[in-house]
Amino acid sequence: MNFDLDENQELFKAAVERFCQGQDVAARRAARAIPGGIDRARWKELAELGLIGLAAGEADGGMEGSHGDLAVVAQALGHAQAVEPWLECAFLPARLLAGSAHLEGVIAGETIAAFAFAEPGRRFVLEAQAVKVRGGKISGTKQFVLGGGAADIFVVSAEDDGKTGLYVVDAKAADVEVRPYPVADGGVAAIVTFHDAAVEGPLAADLGAVIDEARLMAAAEMTGIAQRLFADTLEYLKTREQFGQPLGRFQVLQHRMVDAYARVESVQSAILRALLQPAAPMAAIKAHVAENAIWVAHQAVQLHGGMGMSDELGVGHGLKRIVLLSKLFGDPASDILSYAQAA
Amino acid sequence: MDMDFSPEDLAFQKEVRAFLDDKLIARLREGAASTPSVFTEPDITREWQAILAEKGWLATSWPVEDGGPGWTPTQKYIFEKECAIAGAPSLPILGLRLVGPVICHFGTPEQKARFLPRIISGEDYWCQGYSEPGAGSDLAAVKTRAERVGDKYVVNGSKIWTTHAHHANWIFALVRTDPTVQKQRGISFLLVPMEQPGVSVSPIITMANDHEVNATFFDNAETPADNLIGEEGQGWTIAKFLLENERGGSCAAPALLAKLDRIERWAREEASGTNGNMIHDPNISQRLARLRLEAQAFEVTELRILAELAKGRPAGPQTSLVKLTSSNLRQAIDELAVDLFGYEGLQLPVTRPLYGNEAPEFVGSRSAQLSMPAYLNGRAYTIFGGSDEVQKTIIAKQVLGL
Repeated sequence: MNFDLDENQELFKAAVERFCQGQDVAARRAARAIPGGIDRARWKELAELGLIGLAAGEADGGMEGSHGDLAVVAQALGHAQAVEPWLECAFLPARLLAGSAHLEGVIAGETIAAFAFAEPGRRFVLEAQAVKVRGGKISGTKQFVLGGGAADIFVVSAEDDGKTGLYVVDAKAADVEVRPYPVADGGVAAIVTFHDAAVEGPLAADLGAVIDEARLMAAAEMTGIAQRLFADTLEYLKTREQFGQPLGRFQVLQHRMVDAYARVESVQSAILRALLQPAAPMAAIKAHVAENAIWVAHQAVQLHGGMGMSDELGVGHGLKRIVLLSKLFGDPASDILSYAQAA
Repeated sequence: MDMDFSPEDLAFQKEVRAFLDDKLIARLREGAASTPSVFTEPDITREWQAILAEKGWLATSWPVEDGGPGWTPTQKYIFEKECAIAGAPSLPILGLRLVGPVICHFGTPEQKARFLPRIISGEDYWCQGYSEPGAGSDLAAVKTRAERVGDKYVVNGSKIWTTHAHHANWIFALVRTDPTVQKQRGISFLLVPMEQPGVSVSPIITMANDHEVNATFFDNAETPADNLIGEEGQGWTIAKFLLENERGGSCAAPALLAKLDRIERWAREEASGTNGNMIHDPNISQRLARLRLEAQAFEVTELRILAELAKGRPAGPQTSLVKLTSSNLRQAIDELAVDLFGYEGLQLPVTRPLYGNEAPEFVGSRSAQLSMPAYLNGRAYTIFGGSDEVQKTIIAKQVLGL
């Protein structure tokens, strides 16, 4: 038995840390000011580090990293509070576009792809209904298309002949209407309406399997963020003085931090279980991680006091990213319920 | 034992309802409902304030001789409850509820004549200079220095979390006038005009993208010596009066229950994605039920305090629980609203306001758009005005004798 990162994983982790060095609150604000929310030069850099190709198969020119390799990247990005939507615009397209000619541009960081899966009024249901493909043309509206404001192409789930398939649509086509809007983590999502636009596909990827992998990546990223917020809060309690002593001397805060520590350790173990037991229930594990990560993030805000509320610190950003990820492809309540009912 | 209002109080309730039906116009309701921050912005509150001032129902916690309506504690409660249910805007409480009563109680006749009418007219807009970068929970550690020079005070230092300082023309501040004595005793309560070269305000944007609080800097700011309230060194006593005055009677539960009613309505309309509405979702409906039970019990706690006050008795130890309970309930309710809206609860508008012609487009509904900023701003309820941890320590010591 061995839970250490291997040599390659250490390298991936270091690459992420280098990539995110100096990415502070100011960088996050600057990124938010870019229409579409993604800095293309930075995105290219991410690609050059191999961090997009790692998620693609060798047959498609990728590095075919293991789930463990990819989770290390997701967790490190979370810990570094990365601005770039790696999960949304690198990991997901790399999996969904397996075997597609578009993948080359995605791996190179030249094509930005966004996944359009959510439909108004359908909550977390993954089967497409309102967006349909008929005679090679796609119509209907998707919302919550993360990265949709910057995308060159959309991977779209759509109904055809009663089944949900995955299709590629040119985001710049005249019959594709993109309305960007800001979301909790500072990123940009879009409402995308297709007016009989041309599609390619269906793609070969197994949607359900990719969604489960994405849940694992979301859980890994939340784990990284929770670890970061925990460490930052611990440091703050050791240095911030009130009533003539460091806050960390107050027993109630010591016990609170021990609870946070226990939760951070629990989510790390849950991630390792998901990686090492392939049959583990991904949605339920993501729910477990999400609930604990949200608790840790709430405490990080509370214990930082007023500063925790401000946009000046990474604490609030961490909470917002965790909340967003906690609801991606199902929220903790829906995931726990499905798990309980399946058991 | 009964929980009923007297016939006189019921008649008053009817009068308040009729007034609100008539005067609380849709634009003001929309402005109040579409504000995700703690305080409503002056463009909405000023108008509502003028309507209440005209009726004589504005300075409800002031003595009659200073311009209060002379209401009993029960009438005050009824008024606030009806306003909460009707969705009235919040008022600029820093003047009306905080510094106003302090001036009524500690002010000289000249100070009363000068400041009180201008709080009622809205001519003066107040902010509060309490916390400092080094004095948050530990308020007695304030360092902002006020030195008496001739017939004025010269102020140097900085305050943080100054709500609406960017709208205010006056600040009431806890300042250190004597650094040589025990820390609580060297503090004074000073009124300082904001519109002068020595005062500058810099915004602090919250994680919800709201601009509500600021950092306020004093660099040789000046204020006439007769703007000192009470005596030098009396600041801590006045600050405690202000806090206790706040804790006297409260009416938080009706607004919380009204919010739960709104969430229930939204849940009846919000599609579950699988053939029904979210009201039938076991997680949402059970959380709604639990929160409602808690808020209903909390309403009775507030009524128990009211009953004591109405009999002229001091309120019991339940008062200490009010802030703690209402803050935590509010946070749980705001979380429920975000969870109800699924992906639509994750939109977070960057610009304000979220009402009127300038409001950014929403995804799904305005209620969905408001849920995330309200939830994020609401994390402050357990931090400001004495954090949960500070409140619990006070209760442990003063109520439980631990």
